[in-house]
Order: sequence, then C-alpha cells, then structure tokens
Amino acid sequence: MSTKTETFFPLIPVWDIFIRVFHWSLVLAVSVAGLTGFLLGATWLDIHIWAGAAAGALIFARLVWGFLGSAYARFKNFVPGPATLRLHLNELRSGTAPRHIGHNPLGALMILGLIGTILALGLSGAVQLGGEFKTGPLAFLFSYDTARLMADLHGAFANILLTLVILHVAGALYESWRTRENLPKSMLTGQKQSRPGDHVTPQGHALPILASIAILGGLGLSLWGGVTLAARPGFGAAKPPVNAVYADECSACHMAFPPSLMPGENWTQLMQTLPDHFGEDASLGRTTTRELTDWLIANSADTVDTKPARVLARVDPANPIMLTKTPFWLATHDPIDDATFKRAPIYSRSNCAACHSDADSGAFYPGNIDIPAALKPETKTANN
Amino acid sequence: MIRKTRSQDALLLSVALVAGFFALIAAFSPANAGPKQDAVIAKLAAEAGVASFSAKNGEAFFQGTHTGGKPETTSCTTCHTKNPRAMGKTRVGKPIEPMAVSANPTRFIDPEKLAKWFRRNCNSVVGRECTTTEKGEILTYLSSI
Ligand code: HEC
Ligand code: HEC
Ligand code: HEC
Repeated sequence: MSTKTETFFPLIPVWDIFIRVFHWSLVLAVSVAGLTGFLLGATWLDIHIWAGAAAGALIFARLVWGFLGSAYARFKNFVPGPATLRLHLNELRSGTAPRHIGHNPLGALMILGLIGTILALGLSGAVQLGGEFKTGPLAFLFSYDTARLMADLHGAFANILLTLVILHVAGALYESWRTRENLPKSMLTGQKQSRPGDHVTPQGHALPILASIAILGGLGLSLWGGVTLAARPGFGAAKPPVNAVYADECSACHMAFPPSLMPGENWTQLMQTLPDHFGEDASLGRTTTRELTDWLIANSADTVDTKPARVLARVDPANPIMLTKTPFWLATHDPIDDATFKRAPIYSRSNCAACHSDADSGAFYPGNIDIPAALKPETKTANN
Repeated sequence: MIRKTRSQDALLLSVALVAGFFALIAAFSPANAGPKQDAVIAKLAAEAGVASFSAKNGEAFFQGTHTGGKPETTSCTTCHTKNPRAMGKTRVGKPIEPMAVSANPTRFIDPEKLAKWFRRNCNSVVGRECTTTEKGEILTYLSSI
C-alpha cells in the first residue's frame, strides 16, 4: 500500500556507511552476548566476553563518530533539549508530529540510553570478570564480594538493555507504520525519502581520517592498557601451589587437589583421618602428615579470594572433607549424568582435571571446561 | 695382504652381527627381576627364614578376593587389574603403572615406597599388614611373570 507513495518522493542519503555497519555489528555483538549470558551455561563465558568487548569497542567508535562523523551521526544534531522533547511529545499526542529525517527526539533518547546501558554492562562485566574469575584488566583490583555485587548490577543492566532493545524495535516499527516508511530498511540502504515538512538536519562534513585515527588510537591504547593491567596478579588469586611432597604423596590415587579448595579446618580433619580415607588406607608417616597439614593450612581457602575457594568452602556438614558433596558442586554439576562421570577417561566425580584443564591451579575458569569425549571401545578392553 | 684384511673384516662383521642379535633378543625378551628386586626378595627371605618364596601362593593372594578389608577394595586386582603386565587404575581413575617387573623394571626398588604401599594396600584389602612371607610371595610372583 505504501509503495505508491514511496515512488513519489526522492531518496536522500541519511545513514552513512559507518552508522550502518556499526548498527548491524552492534546488533550481532549484543545478540551473541545476550544469548550466551541469558541462556547458555558458564562454558560460553569466553564467547560472552568477546561479544561484550566487541560491543564496547563499537560503542567507543560510535562516540568518536558522534563528534567527527557526518551530519546525522553527530550528537549535537540529534540530542534533544527538554523543550524540543516536550514539543515532540505534544505533537505526537495530537497527531501532528512531523517526520524527522535523522533520529527523532524520542529515538535520540533511546540511542543515548542504549549507549549508556551497553557501557555500564561492559564496565560491570569487566569488574565481575576481574573479581570473580581473577582474569582480565581489573583482576588486580576487585574482590570476590565486589564482583558478586557487580554481578547483580550486570544482570540488572542486562534486563534494562533487553527492555530498551524491545522498545527500540517497537519504536522503529511504530514510526515506520506512522510515517509509512520502512525504517529498518533505511538502516540497510542508508536512504530515506525526503518529504515536504520534514525536519532536516543541515548537512555537514564527516572527518573520516581524523575519526579513524581517534578510533584506532583509542582502541589500541585501551588494548595495550588492558593487556598490561591483565598481566598483574589477580586480587587474592591462588598462587600456583608447589610442594614436591604433596604433589607426590597426594597424587598417587587422584589428582593433587589444590589446597585453595578447602578451608584449613577441613584439611586438618582430612589429614587426621588418612588411615581411613574414603574406604582406603592413605596413611603417611607422622612427620610428613604434620608438614603437609601445615602447608595445606597455609595455602587453604582461608588464604585466597577465588571463586572456587569461596563457593566450595560451604561444605556439606555430613561430608566436611568432600568437594563433590558441597551444595555448590552438586548444583553446578547436576546437568552431567552419572554415566558420564563413570566412563573413560573420567572414571570419577573427583577427577576434576579430566574436565577442568586448569584444575591444578585451583582457578576452575569456565573457559577451561571441556568434558572429554568417550574413549573408543578397544581402550576399555586393554586391561584384559 | 688384501685378502687377509678382507677375512678380518668378515670376522669382525660376523662377531658384530652375532652380538647385535643377542642384544636384540635381550632387549625384547621379558626381563625377569633385576638384581635390585632380587636383593629385596632375598632380604625378605632372610627375614622369613626361607630359601625362596612360592610364586603360586603370591599369585593366589594377588588374584584372590579377600574379606576383612574395606568393602570398596576386596582384591589387589581392584586397582592393579587381573593382568599385572597391564596398566591399572585407582578408584578415582588415575592410571597405575604395571606391577609386573617385566613390564615395569622400576618396580619394588625403593624400600620406603614399597613398605608404605604394602602397609596401605594390605590394610585396605585384607584389613591388616601383610606378613613377610605374603610380601615375599607377592613380589616373587610379580617378578616372575
Ligand atoms: C590410597 C589412595 C589415596 C591416597 C594416597 C590419597 N587419596 Fe584422597 N581419595 C582417595 C579416594 C579413593 C577418594 C574418594 C574419591 C571418590 O569417592 O570418588 C579420595 C578423595 C579425596 C578427597 C575428596 C574428593 C571429593 O570427591 O570431594 C580429597 C579432598 C582428598 N582425597 C585429599 C587427599 C589428600 C590431601 C591426600 C594426601 C594426603 C590424599 N587424598 C591421598 C584415595 C586416596
Ligand atoms: C565430567 C566433567 C567434570 C568433572 C569431573 C568436574 N567438573 Fe566441574 N564443571 C564441569 C562443567 C561442565 C561445569 C560447568 C557447568 C555450567 O555450565 O555451569 C563445571 C563447573 C565447575 C565450577 C564452576 C565454575 C564457574 O565459575 O562457573 C567449579 C568451581 C567446578 N566445576 C569445580 C570442580 C571440582 C572441584 C571438581 C573435582 C572435585 C570438578 N569440578 C569436576 C565439569 C566437570
Ligand atoms: C585402591 C587401589 C589399590 C589396591 C586395592 C591395591 N593397590 Fe597397590 N598400589 C596402588 C597405588 C595407587 C600404588 C602406587 C602407585 C604406583 O606405585 O604406581 C600402589 C602401589 C603398590 C606397591 C608398590 C610398588 C612399588 O613400586 O614399590 C605394591 C607392592 C602394591 N601396590 C601391592 C598391592 C597389593 C599386594 C595389593 C592387594 C593386597 C594392592 N596393591 C592393592 C593402588 C592399589
């Protein structure tokens, strides 16, 4: 029905190539981050972080372009003052609002809201990553407790962004219907119809070379800064535990569990009951027992600020020296079925290193989780 | 002169070939207990006051099912498997190197390690320390296959 009208108005360029590429790249980055964050498990964390970082970089580029880009891209040409906004709302209410070739005042507010929320998501995400997983540029600065607060904020911002995106799409569709022009399509072609009575923004020149220098320079600097900061040791991160006697004695039957996974009190109890250790005699000489106990206490969960230390410290009172009976462990590993734990090459729930490639360090970073594939049947019979 | 050198060469060559042949056989034939394991067994024999141990009894003990220990571990083969020349695994799935000396020449040469695991494993499987005779028989069995 609108095709008839369309042919009568000339098309003019509105969204320059930067804006269009930016817009759809941001759609992709935010969708990936949203999908991995809302719906997929911890093992998708790395992809979530990359998508979030990409969104942050895109927003940075957009901010630069908002000062150095073409007329319709510049903030000063579309960010409305209160008077403009009130007028636009009144006109919308009375059905007399003119078309805006660029962002209309409400749309402009939405742009600012989206940009602000994505920046807040990026920042809260970086703090959470640093404090919770002891990686990334802010790892040296933030504690696990701060990260947990930040995680709540990050979730709240994510819900706000989801709401804004829905409103943004609804607004674009409503405006498309109201003005009989396919606005999502203009974001692909860059062109809009020019009609009498339109609010037109005065054309201005983009400064693409200056903008590229600013964008690449800014991103390069952030990357350099981020990498430099990320190299610092994380706040309260577990130091790689080294003790040759422990590594030898406590790795005979299973992996040498990192001392940072249990509080000192529980290690003491475990060391006192070695002669009856989960249905086996794992006794050691008196001196070795005492030395290892001291070492375990000195490197226990009480001495670090890592996520595994904090979440596994809440033990099951009936099994105070088991990691695999802690409520957190049971909850996170609930989706894995019994047969998976029993089969080669895993064999047991306690065989953390089979699935967590960084188990020895006590980090248990979600990006380092990989449930190994079942071995071929012939290896099963190799023992006979 | 020339002929003499040739026959010397031929002699050297055949000596080398024969030596290589024997070296090859030695490398691939199942090595029985080395001197170190022999010394460990001899010491146990002296302690038990016998000349030698029965590998058959050792086999019966090692392969058999026992009561008196912990219910999770009723036999040495729970972890070391029925074939001592093969890899075993612990209850947590960690591989254990073969127990037979022919498959793993580093077995039983560290007296402290040996004492520790005999104490632990016998306690787990039969609920007590193994006797000197039992230890000697087990090691004789594991050195003979
Ligand atoms: C003789 C074999 C053996 C030795 C040696 C041994 N363990 Fe264990 N350990 C076990 C078994 C078997 C389990 C139970 C695993 C299971 O139920 O899956 C276990 C379980 C554990 C657990 C609980 C794991 C979980 O699933 O939550 C901890 C912690 C532990 N051992 C620490 C140690 C420490 C520390 C040492 C060194 C002093 C040690 N172990 C030496 C056999 C051994
Ligand atoms: C069969 C494979 C497997 C074994 C064995 C295993 N895990 Fe996991 N673990 C996983 C998977 C998969 C997840 C991620 C679950 C999810 O998607 O949230 C996970 C998650 C975790 C997490 C949470 C990571 C995070 O920050 O979200 C911790 C901590 C953890 N495991 C500790 C352990 C410990 C300690 C052991 C050994 C006692 C162990 N796991 C044994 C597969 C395994
Ligand atoms: C619960 C598992 C388990 C059971 C059951 C078990 N062992 Fe072991 N055994 C081990 C582990 C683990 C080691 C140490 C790892 C290694 O030496 O490769 C070991 C080591 C030994 C050693 C020391 C080897 C050396 O090189 O010094 C001897 C001897 C031994 N076992 C004998 C036995 C006998 C005899 C039995 C039955 C009474 C038995 N084991 C039952 C797990 C087991």
